[in-house]
Amino acid sequence: MDTLSNLLFLCLLLPLVVAFVAPLFSPKRATYLSFLAFILPFFAIIYSVFKVAPFEIPLTTFSPPIGEFYLHFDFISYAFGLTICIVSAMIALFALPYMKHRFEEMGREVESEFRKYIFLYDLYAASMLWLVFSGNFVLLYVFLEITLITAFLLIYTYGYGNRKWVGMLYLIWCAVAGVLTLAGIVLVAFENDTLALNVLMAGGKVSTLAWAFIFAGMIIELPVLGPHIWLPWAHAEAPTPVSALLSPLTVGLAGYVLLRTALIDYSFIETYRIPILAYAIFSSIYGGFSVFKQTDFKRLLAYSTVSQMGYILVALCLGPFGLIGLVIQYMSHAFGKSILFSSAGGIIAVHHGLRDINKMGGLHDSIPAISNAAVLGFLNLGGMLTVGMLGEFFILRGVVETFGVTKSSLGIILAVIFMFILSVWYGFYTIRKVFYGKPRSTKRLEISRYLYVPLYIIGIVSVLLLFPPLSTVLIQGLNLISGLGLGGLGVGGVGVGGVGGVVP
Amino acid sequence: MFTVALVVLTLGAVFSFKFRPLGLVGAVVALLLGLYACSSFHYGVFIFAIGLVNLLSLGALDSRIKGVDYGLVGLMALVTMYIFNTSDFALVLAALVLVSVPTYILVMLRDVEGNGEGKGEGVRKGEGVRKGEGVRGEGGANVEVGIKYITFMVLATVLFLIGAVILAYTKSAFDGFLYVLGYVLLVLGLCIEVGVAPMHEWVPDVFAAADPIPISIIASLAKIVPFVAALFILIYTACPLTASVSIFTAVLAAVSMFTGNIGALTSKEPARVLGYSTVANMGYVLACLVVAAKPEFFYFALTGGLILLFANAAGKIGFFNAIKGGGAYSPLVYLLAFSFIGVPPLMGFWGKLFILLSLAEMQYYWLIGVLVVNSAISIPYYIRLAGELGSATGWETNLTNIVCVAVVVLTFVTVFFVPVEWFFANMQAVAETIGIGAGVVGVGVGVSEGVVVGGGGI
Repeated sequence: MDTLSNLLFLCLLLPLVVAFVAPLFSPKRATYLSFLAFILPFFAIIYSVFKVAPFEIPLTTFSPPIGEFYLHFDFISYAFGLTICIVSAMIALFALPYMKHRFEEMGREVESEFRKYIFLYDLYAASMLWLVFSGNFVLLYVFLEITLITAFLLIYTYGYGNRKWVGMLYLIWCAVAGVLTLAGIVLVAFENDTLALNVLMAGGKVSTLAWAFIFAGMIIELPVLGPHIWLPWAHAEAPTPVSALLSPLTVGLAGYVLLRTALIDYSFIETYRIPILAYAIFSSIYGGFSVFKQTDFKRLLAYSTVSQMGYILVALCLGPFGLIGLVIQYMSHAFGKSILFSSAGGIIAVHHGLRDINKMGGLHDSIPAISNAAVLGFLNLGGMLTVGMLGEFFILRGVVETFGVTKSSLGIILAVIFMFILSVWYGFYTIRKVFYGKPRSTKRLEISRYLYVPLYIIGIVSVLLLFPPLSTVLIQGLNLISGLGLGGLGVGGVGVGGVGGVVP
Repeated sequence: MFTVALVVLTLGAVFSFKFRPLGLVGAVVALLLGLYACSSFHYGVFIFAIGLVNLLSLGALDSRIKGVDYGLVGLMALVTMYIFNTSDFALVLAALVLVSVPTYILVMLRDVEGNGEGKGEGVRKGEGVRKGEGVRGEGGANVEVGIKYITFMVLATVLFLIGAVILAYTKSAFDGFLYVLGYVLLVLGLCIEVGVAPMHEWVPDVFAAADPIPISIIASLAKIVPFVAALFILIYTACPLTASVSIFTAVLAAVSMFTGNIGALTSKEPARVLGYSTVANMGYVLACLVVAAKPEFFYFALTGGLILLFANAAGKIGFFNAIKGGGAYSPLVYLLAFSFIGVPPLMGFWGKLFILLSLAEMQYYWLIGVLVVNSAISIPYYIRLAGELGSATGWETNLTNIVCVAVVVLTFVTVFFVPVEWFFANMQAVAETIGIGAGVVGVGVGVSEGVVVGGGGI
């Protein structure tokens, strides 16, 4: 166990170290190095899913009310961690031709810009990875803010359009989200005299006020309808590799924070379940319909994110099954959306900045590799033949378990099903509009392999995760944490024994 | 040891008339002696670092009293270290005066005409105003600015002293009316001294008109003692009435945060923006004073307030030096801006975190909300400032960049978390030695020792 835990720790350390080392190399080598820095932890995590019982690695201890800083390796962290690793590794490869093209387009010197870019990219992805393994709210907040700043700098420096304004918009909204969450965290510290998650999960309390702060902050970051204003701008104007991390990985981390808080104290969600659920479903459906109105491909995907993040909030309200659904939904959305944003990036790179859907149509004939990858992406969002299917299953099961199947609950069940159908609907709509229909040119275009091979690998992982042994082991592990079979969360934080008191 | 340090400092300043670098040497030696004598090493080492960078930055100023100015800054740093060594009421007040008076002279300094030409080459906005003021100065001094500044400072010191004396009197013969009067006078004095709204009138004007180097000292080193002194006095004289009157401080803090941040958002000139940023930051620190109502949580406020003051000092020194030098290396000023915004794990974040924790302990939830909102609305102007003060030419080895590297290193001290814990544990110990927080000292110190041992093990 010791050797294994050390190995995992080193694997987590690797991306952080590479962030500082990669800029010393040429763009190609730096890219491979970054790829390795994320793919190695990915395999290490997959191995741990099968072989290693949850454990913790202590880092340092603060006086109360901050408490211990440690890294926790449990199935929730594994699930989020492996998603972050595989997407970051693949997008690192995808970004090589894309960013070179972008620097040339901006009239900048490729080598020196790539150094700055790869540093920020690695630090951005590594901080997300560390966030999901952080065992203390303060540590988690630290990485949340590093994520925010690095993403901001990437948009501010390399984005499209009015990139500085968009960068500021993103920074301000997410900083507001961050500080609101911090205020909630401070209140949790005051109430429990610690912010270490293991202690909090073993009987900690999160008061309504603290919950309200954290919830308000995280629904801005998520985001749901209302505070979602920043999202279409940031996702559309960010350089595509950044969009391909921002939308799939970063925003969903708000769901992760909510999940961890819910595992400590579920009372807030239980009290306000109906209004939150109604808001989430409405937000998701609104986001889904907004997709049809978009003419910019990246903005279209951004609205799809609003819709998908509604799923996360819906899942949060649905007890233990819902919480498992939340984790899987994060994974499937991350896989799907990273593929889709990269497809959009592929079109931009090959068709010289083309983003207007009205000027697309029939692109399958010129770039079939990217077109097929996009289909894989939408399969993930629609929950078909990929891990997304499991996500939808658990969310639906959560609805049934929480509300039962009665006349009064029928409305909720139908609304949730409609929410799912909407994703498939806009998925097919987009595929038809962008890749099929009457082609403007049937000439097949040469494209770099970096622009599509990584997308298929993400797609393959998303399919593999649907089937045993990966899906069964992962879900069993998640069951243990979310409290299934241990009386559920209704009793308040019961069933967290799987994480608390584990071997260091 | 402090006496020896003072003697060395004085000798250095005196002989600097013959040989200028002696002033610097004397000041550095005195600071080292001060650090050795300082009862709290963790606190002392920060003051030492800030003092040293202040001394270093004076190299960019070719003033008429070159040499003696090192002595003045050295004296301020020395007194700032000493404040933790004394619990004597009179000495605390003397320290306040001793830190304040050197700034009266410093604020008037500017480059001697002719020698300073070309130094500020490339300085952007604000140049016109600064030079315009400078022309009116006589004998190489910004007299007009000096008079404005000194008038406010004298008023501040008088109010503070009267307030402190009245509070001390109520300690032996309690009288509700006198306590409230003393409390209000002391807080008002402090507000004028450090520039808390609505008594911040002098701050943007003086910051924009005076030379950036002395202002970097006034905005950094000079802010620490007034707060520590006020906190000590309020805690020492705390009574059941404190909880009620602390609302006065809380409201002032909130007003100051909004005034500072909105003022900075709507100002263009970098020095003026920094002036308003000081007003906002002093509002955050002032919020700590509400802890006087529950002295057992004193060490939270002390940790938060001091770390924020250190972060503010580091940022202000960096930014003002960038103004003086016509811009600094871009990544450095961005890092300083992030520290101001409160991005973890930079120093500014830890200051705000501990201030929030102390407010949570005090159950001042609305003030937490105000602080949180203000943290967010300050972002645009810090980023804009960093954009304006960041040099487009890349790295150049010059004094401005060296000073900026030094302050960035200072803000990075907290990156590895452990120094924050050491500082916090040390502040718990300080709370115990000055006899405050008797109710929880047993717990606090026990924990702190455990942590230090644990930290060593790691």
